[in-house]
Amino acid sequence: MTRLSRRFAVSLCFCAVLLASSRLKTTANADDIAERAKKLHFSSIVLDTHDDTTQRFFEKGGFNLADRHTDGHIDIPRMREGGMNAIFFSIWIDGKIMGPQAVEKALDQIDAVHENVKKNSKDMVFCRTAEEVREAHKQGKIAALMGVEGGHMIGNDIHVLRVFGDLGVRYMTLSHFYNTEWSDSSTDKPAHNGLTDFGKDVVREMNRQGIMVDISHVSDKTFYDALEISKAPLIASHSSCRALCNHPRDMSDDMIKALAAKGGVIQINYERSFIDQAYKDASDKLSGGVVAALEKITKECAGDETCVSQKQKELQAQMEASGALPRVSWERIIDHIDHAVKLVGADHVGLGSDFDGATMPDGMEDCSKLPKITEALMRKGYKDDDIRKILGGNLLRVMEQNEKVSRELQAQ
Amino acid sequence: MLRTILTAGLCLSACVFLAAAMIADDISASAKKLHFSAIVVDTHDDTTQRFLDGKFDIAVRNSTGGIDIPRMREGGLGALFFSIWIPSKITGTDAVNRALTQINAVREQVHTHPKDLVLATTADEVRAARKRGKIAALIGVEGGHMINSDLGVLRNFASLDARYMTLTHSGNCEWADASTDKPVHNGLTDFGKEVVREMNRLGMMVDISHVSDKTFYDVLEVSKAPLIASHSSCRALCNTPRNMTDRMMKALAAKGGVIQINYHVGFLSQEFRNAEKAHPEWEKAIAVEVQKTCGENEACQLLEGDRITRQYVAEGKLPRVGWTAIIDHIDHAVKVAGIDHVGLGSDFDGANMPYGMEDASMLPKITEALLRKGYSEDDVKKILGENTLRLMANVERIGRELNSSPRK
Repeated sequence: MTRLSRRFAVSLCFCAVLLASSRLKTTANADDIAERAKKLHFSSIVLDTHDDTTQRFFEKGGFNLADRHTDGHIDIPRMREGGMNAIFFSIWIDGKIMGPQAVEKALDQIDAVHENVKKNSKDMVFCRTAEEVREAHKQGKIAALMGVEGGHMIGNDIHVLRVFGDLGVRYMTLSHFYNTEWSDSSTDKPAHNGLTDFGKDVVREMNRQGIMVDISHVSDKTFYDALEISKAPLIASHSSCRALCNHPRDMSDDMIKALAAKGGVIQINYERSFIDQAYKDASDKLSGGVVAALEKITKECAGDETCVSQKQKELQAQMEASGALPRVSWERIIDHIDHAVKLVGADHVGLGSDFDGATMPDGMEDCSKLPKITEALMRKGYKDDDIRKILGGNLLRVMEQNEKVSRELQAQ
Repeated sequence: MLRTILTAGLCLSACVFLAAAMIADDISASAKKLHFSAIVVDTHDDTTQRFLDGKFDIAVRNSTGGIDIPRMREGGLGALFFSIWIPSKITGTDAVNRALTQINAVREQVHTHPKDLVLATTADEVRAARKRGKIAALIGVEGGHMINSDLGVLRNFASLDARYMTLTHSGNCEWADASTDKPVHNGLTDFGKEVVREMNRLGMMVDISHVSDKTFYDVLEVSKAPLIASHSSCRALCNTPRNMTDRMMKALAAKGGVIQINYHVGFLSQEFRNAEKAHPEWEKAIAVEVQKTCGENEACQLLEGDRITRQYVAEGKLPRVGWTAIIDHIDHAVKVAGIDHVGLGSDFDGANMPYGMEDASMLPKITEALLRKGYSEDDVKKILGENTLRLMANVERIGRELNSSPRK
């Protein structure tokens, strides 16, 4: 199909949607909404900014993205089923590993993402820009992107940060669970009062490279420091609302407002203990607090990510077996989206599931369930355009702005 | 036929020995025209080390070292491989990290000078750079120790545009023996063979400079793509393990490879090498002096080593080696391996240059000398760069073919 005829076909479709929606206004019922939501969802760019699927590429016996799995949350068949067509694969290693060792482990994961995307080139294409994501969508392919989850992986070396950019990394979370040598984490004792001078240099260099600055995981002070320094809007790649669930990993209303005021976006995390207060309280009681529990696991596993993932799963299974954890419904995700939208408007909220890295609420067992989000927002009376923004449009806007700032800074 | 002409040429240059001295200032119009219309490719320059100390400006004419933009322009150097090098004693994750730092330093330098330099990853990109009047900058990794036995790291190097990797530096790596170390692997280990296969798949040239003879033959057997010796000369003329024997060169050429002649005096001149070997204490003394001046600054070490060596020459301790020794090695390699299998791999900024080839601005002398020897214009072009570009294009094509076949 030529570009012109494709555009014509797209506009035809669009007209059909418009026609359908105007008719629905008069005769709206549950089934109509379901149908409309489906159409909207499957014609949108549905972009998830945080998936820990990368760790699965290192599983013994291998992990084939192309196969449908009964475990985990992400694979190509389920992404297709859930209309998820853009994914940030997270590059993550334990935050206690630092220096050159962290650098090489990160390189291995970056390589694994590239190799797996190449292996699935019928379905996936690696993307570095918002434009490339849109192009992938037009071609019916899943856009694969990369984010580095934790500033410790640059080994305190600005060259390595640039190399990550060259290798296609599009965001970096400034810290993970523990402080880095230049930024405080939200789940560690503050050591730097936010960002150090080098940390500020890191943020400036990320702006220059067009790598989005991700403030999920960082302490509140680090967030405000990054907000002040950054010339480009920030993202919270996988954080929810502290007003609804008081977890240090979530953002306070003030933070969300400040983020939005500078054009940023909060990508709602689906992890049960970040979205449901009762669950978090019960979980803390059982585990002795998430910080202490994770610290213990980190110590036991001594730098082996597979071990950490396994032990976390075991701990989770133990807690579930105790029967003391309340059920959490997927609708809490909608509550968090809605809270953030009410606070700062529909331009500053998106999706950052934490699939394959978190425990999912009932009804959002994997990415095949994503159309439910579109339908729920529609039922809440959200406009189609706003829903598209939340599904992916907002993040692409922020990406474009980061690209623009990068071009400007490099031209200087 | 060719052989007769070449022999005649050799005789001519021997007869008019004095003419060589003239060549320095006297490049004929025809040589100039040929040289500046050819794509001149140098496959080994250690200039990267100079980027790291922060004081070096590649955009201005420097009084030290061999490479900067003004002198490359003056010498008609159209493409160069910046070498990523760390000493082979640095291993493990440190080696990986430091290699990344250097790769980034090269890329940053190229981005900082967009009017003159452009990063190139393929033979076509080198030609395109030339058409736009820019110098093509390429990246080669000098030593397999920098991948820390991790194919993921190797693939990342390729993604970052490294176009060749020398399998070892002066010390053995964990999977390949070097020519200047005690053999421990009997050539290439099984993992080393995997590295070579993966390089083939990535379209990355396998560089056999620095490796032991056994490693070379192992690689030659395993590699599906022709090999490069990015900076080695001829052992028949100067007996050092870093150079290639006639038999090795023939085997390299039979599989389509190219030997890129190194200008280091210790690799060019048997007389120089003999003098060095007769006085190992000088080498030690030079090392001590270099260490005193430079500490761990590798850029400084390389340049200071060259400076002190020249002092020894001035004092009459070490023989003075003229640049025409480069021509002797080119000519020998052409006779042994054939005109399609020889190129230039200077080792500028990383070795002791012969008199009259102190920097890249002197390169037209090579063209002049080869023409005088009776080489045809096409033959000279091959040596200046076309052979290397052909090799690159072949390695790229094989990489594409291997990638399109189903993965194991």
